[in-house]
Amino acid sequence: MTHVLRPRAARGIELSRRSFGVLAATSVLAACAGSPRTASPDAPLRVLAINHVWTQAISRYLPELEERIGRRVSLRMLTADQLTSSFNVKLNASATDIDVMTIRPLQDQMMFARNGWIADLTDRVEGDADYRWTDFQDAPRERSITAGAAVSVPVVTERPALYYRKDLLEEFGGAPRTLDDMLDIALETQRRSEGFFGFVGRGQRAGAVTQWSSFLYSFGGDFTVDGRSGIGTPEAVAAYEFYGRLLHDAGPPGATNMSLEQAMPIFAQGKAAMYVDADAIYSNFLDTSISTVTDTVGFAPFPAGQAGSVPHNIPSWSLAVNEFSLLRDDSWEFLRWASSPEMVARLQSEGIPGARQSVWDDPATLASFPADLAEAMRINAANGVGHDRPEVMQVGRARDIVGRPLVSGIVGEDVASVAADADAEFNDFLVRDNRQQEF
Amino acid sequence: MSATTTFRALRGVLITVVCAVIALPIIWMIAAAFKTNVQVTDPTVGLVFSPTWDNFRNVLADGALAHSLLNSLVVGVVSTALSVVVAVPAAWAVGRFRMRRTGSIVLVARIIPAISLLVPWYYMFAQLGLVGSHLVLILSHMFVSVPLILWIMIGFFEGLPVELEDAARTDGLSAFGAFLRIALPLAAPGTASAAVLAFIFSWNNFIFALILADERTMTMPVLLFNFMSYASTDWGGLMAAATLMTVPVLLAAVFGQRFLVAGLTAGATKG
Repeated sequence: MTHVLRPRAARGIELSRRSFGVLAATSVLAACAGSPRTASPDAPLRVLAINHVWTQAISRYLPELEERIGRRVSLRMLTADQLTSSFNVKLNASATDIDVMTIRPLQDQMMFARNGWIADLTDRVEGDADYRWTDFQDAPRERSITAGAAVSVPVVTERPALYYRKDLLEEFGGAPRTLDDMLDIALETQRRSEGFFGFVGRGQRAGAVTQWSSFLYSFGGDFTVDGRSGIGTPEAVAAYEFYGRLLHDAGPPGATNMSLEQAMPIFAQGKAAMYVDADAIYSNFLDTSISTVTDTVGFAPFPAGQAGSVPHNIPSWSLAVNEFSLLRDDSWEFLRWASSPEMVARLQSEGIPGARQSVWDDPATLASFPADLAEAMRINAANGVGHDRPEVMQVGRARDIVGRPLVSGIVGEDVASVAADADAEFNDFLVRDNRQQEF
Repeated sequence: MSATTTFRALRGVLITVVCAVIALPIIWMIAAAFKTNVQVTDPTVGLVFSPTWDNFRNVLADGALAHSLLNSLVVGVVSTALSVVVAVPAAWAVGRFRMRRTGSIVLVARIIPAISLLVPWYYMFAQLGLVGSHLVLILSHMFVSVPLILWIMIGFFEGLPVELEDAARTDGLSAFGAFLRIALPLAAPGTASAAVLAFIFSWNNFIFALILADERTMTMPVLLFNFMSYASTDWGGLMAAATLMTVPVLLAAVFGQRFLVAGLTAGATKG
């Protein structure tokens, strides 16, 4: 027999529970309503930043800034994806516990600006003669501006570099100067040795788009032409077919699963003759704890295609100020200090390429780079285009669409038909995305 | 070959395959913790290599790991203990007093994706000045642990013979007294296994700590990402830290298994 036990004074308990609920809700709402709108004098300046060599380097100099602003600086580092997730959650809730942010101008900036999450810095960058805003290279500076307002300042720039094996390419006359030569050498070195690859590069659908962009530009194409999709043009199809053949015929198996993390170790292990990726990762090949090619790696400018050598030259990371920060002036002081000509020169001398032309013009700041890399960076910067992905609001979705023909080329499918489909899809996407861009 | 022999052989193969699928990533993680970064990324280096302790030496030399381990331990133990205190009596009440609707409402907390809760949580806790504290992590973990323990324990209490509590009531105990003195001790194995599961959830949780913790209260799962930077990953350090993070969970699971012994209630009703 089962008894159902009834607690005594159940009504009383229910009443108390309800009262407690009302009391708790009232307390929370009251507390929420009374939020402070000024920072306390001892509140730290909070910087939420990418885990990057730039951030690690700047953290060593923070005491200088702390002394200047009379406030402690609290620096937290996250990976790129975690950083974006944190910003999305916190800034949606108008967070005041972030003052300075590192953002990817080409990935995040348009959406962040549209959402009103990053402060307008136009008056500050243009109104400060000592800051020399026009000293920043054109391409990175233009990418700091969204809807007519300067909302970020570039601190780290990137271009593609051609990493190659000097010992293997010596008989071919060194690094290839054209994309056609590059393909020939890749096929030949691949043919000579079992288990060795002529070329390695990113092949993941969305992940490969940024590095493929330099191939696209050098074939004379672009992601968009006059506001419409450019990925169905003959130039773009030729670039898709070329990159696909390079990885299909001379690349490692499973290339369509490879992004930076998978492709880089193959070259570092000495298993590939050439590799195209960001110049920011060069130190990985010079570190004996990671690389077996420290003595044989060479660096070259991006090879020329039918339209010449047209690599990207982008601000990979920029600094912005949280619109909801209670320490706007101190946040600007951080930006001003971290992107000043002196600091950019200091960091570039330590191997972290910045965005100031005056610093690039000073040979002393390039002394820490291998000589051939410094020359490659200088040439790529001079020829560079300021974007390496479609300049849209929903960058992730755009990269998925643009990357589809890339995958088809790598697995040996007919690229032209897939590119035509992707072109139509990208056009539809651009119409929708343009509507969202209305500020 | 008889059908029984074939069945046994097939079962053996399937068990081996399943165990291999589960164990291989753990074996790879532990092996990588003893490799250099060159060896980790070289597919020709399998399980035969000269091991190095450098990765463990490096991660242990950095005080951040011990600090994060302590944070994870504090948050895991306190949130689990408080969840047990809240959820076990609640489970008994739901089971005994047929409060299924109440139980279902609590279950909603398990259904809602955590990420959708984070924006309002963050806003609320930020306004209360709690973001970056251990308390906010404990409360957020309890939000998931309480329904977990509640629903495990409801079944457990429903499986206990109600006659035992009736007998206790007849001997003069109140309803809650019968719970405390009779039902709770009998439910100890279930409570222990529910607590182990809640602790494992808390120990492994990443997203709450990512948003709600700061550098002082950062837990282990968030710290692991510090080994991954923009252009490079310290695989050896990452795997050494991951191995150190896995050990307490393995111990908790092994320790908790001792409580997963059936038959206690059957013995209790004898005589």
